[in-house]
Amino acid sequence: MSATASPALGPVKDPKVAARLGSRRKRVDVVIRTLSLAATGIGLVFLASILVTLFAKGFGAMNLSVLTEVTRPPGSEGGLLNAIVGSLIQVALATLIGTPIGMLVGTYLAEYARGSRFGDVVRFVSDILLSAPSILIGLFVYQLLVLPFGGFSGWAGVAALAIIIIPIVVRTTEDMLRLIPNTLREAVIGLGAPKWKMVVMVCWRSAISGIITGVLLGIARIAGETAPLLFTSLGNNAWSTDLSAPMPSLPITIYSYAGSPFQDWIELAWAGALLITLAVLLLNIGARTLLRSRK
Amino acid sequence: MSDQAMDDKTAAARPNINAMQARSGAALNEAKLAIKGLDFFYGTNKALKGIHLDIPARQVTGMIGPSGCGKSTLLRVLNRMYSLYPGQRAEGQVLLDGQNIIEDGVDLNALRSKIGMVFQKPTPFPMTIYENIAFGVRLHERLSKSQMDERVEWALTRAALWTEAKDRLNTSAMGLSGGQQQRLCIARTIAVRPEVILFDEPTSALDPISTLKIEELIDELKRDFTIAIVTHNMQQAARCADQVAFFYLGELIEVAPAAQLFTAPKHAKTQEYITGRFG
Repeated sequence: MSATASPALGPVKDPKVAARLGSRRKRVDVVIRTLSLAATGIGLVFLASILVTLFAKGFGAMNLSVLTEVTRPPGSEGGLLNAIVGSLIQVALATLIGTPIGMLVGTYLAEYARGSRFGDVVRFVSDILLSAPSILIGLFVYQLLVLPFGGFSGWAGVAALAIIIIPIVVRTTEDMLRLIPNTLREAVIGLGAPKWKMVVMVCWRSAISGIITGVLLGIARIAGETAPLLFTSLGNNAWSTDLSAPMPSLPITIYSYAGSPFQDWIELAWAGALLITLAVLLLNIGARTLLRSRK
Repeated sequence: MSDQAMDDKTAAARPNINAMQARSGAALNEAKLAIKGLDFFYGTNKALKGIHLDIPARQVTGMIGPSGCGKSTLLRVLNRMYSLYPGQRAEGQVLLDGQNIIEDGVDLNALRSKIGMVFQKPTPFPMTIYENIAFGVRLHERLSKSQMDERVEWALTRAALWTEAKDRLNTSAMGLSGGQQQRLCIARTIAVRPEVILFDEPTSALDPISTLKIEELIDELKRDFTIAIVTHNMQQAARCADQVAFFYLGELIEVAPAAQLFTAPKHAKTQEYITGRFG
């Protein structure tokens, strides 16, 4: 737009008004910038304090027997092996069950249900599930699997974790598929391909790194979940890989050990917390690297 | 503006008259696609109004007109692309070798293997160059590995990409330049061996040299394929097309051999458009 006055643009610019507005803008800028910096600082201080404490206490408590011994009564040199293995089993199975379901639902929403009312309802419900308190999911599975089948079990824990990861995968799958331009879809259809081939061979392939990123973030989320396991797999102080019996897990062990009066159990809880944090950190780094490699 | 001035302006806007006159010697072939009384609707909005147009076999039909005139819409009717979107519908007849392709019950996958399409933006699939071409072929034919190799080489050669791509067939198609990607898309389309190829502004995202290559390619492809090309670029229509159709506000205003339409348009609207008065 030209700077010269024209009748359509109203009166000529008043330099005094412009200067006043300019200095006002600068003051507002300083205020906003200070507030933003202060907020960032507060956040960072808390994060750093958590991490520093965790690393100091966690590494202090870490030794080989944490990884090689099972949990034992207080005072008798135990480790976390059964909890680690229990967590790995439950998280892995929940991911294996939840990922295909989540991917298919996300695909349905992005490729088949665009603009349909039913699709909107499914998306809405999935989004609610995404932010539902995880203790509710634990209680739900308690009613669904624990009570009818006569007791706490690893399977119930797997089910609860799977229910938590599904909406995460649904959301990322749908978002990633929606990033694909329609012209790519039309190009596949234009060759005479049926829609399922378009979805499986081109759309999924285009979106796969984004979807895997979502799955990794989902794993990071369920690896640290405690509340849904309290009502489902309960925890177990012995070595157990039997999914039909109560199953140990890291978050539950941390939960019960950290609140115990025994110094060696508290130390083990710190070591466990450090392990989970490192695992989640690794998953996040993996997810970011994947997402970057896709660009 | 005097008639004389108008004529001078017309002359300035028409390059390559020699090429057009060379082509105008040959009459238009019999129709491969015959469009009869075609109406098209986006919901309740009527985007094409009573179109009658013959697309001659093994020649190039250029479609020109200002944005929103319906030329791309017409192209998307010809391979039923609009059927992907609920709410879009066509009425009337589009006859491919006498069969009405906009009826219900037409096998769309078979139709699209006969009528291929190349889009405005290059759309390589996220796979290797070889797989990009084999993908379409596998949809419609069962070929042995050696037959497939032959077909891929044939398609890439016809699309003038073989010499650039032959040493990197197993690398991702995403690594090709924009112009190469567009030629890959053309190769992918002709590998299915269609009878008709639709080009929807195939060079509007390309640099001048790539554009020139694509135009030469279109000229070469019309020996075997019937071609319809939508373009915003009148010079391109003049360079490539045997027959040119001018659309305005959903109506076909005028269709004529290229030389005639660009030198002696019959309608005032056509005259105004090709002389750059609007558009």
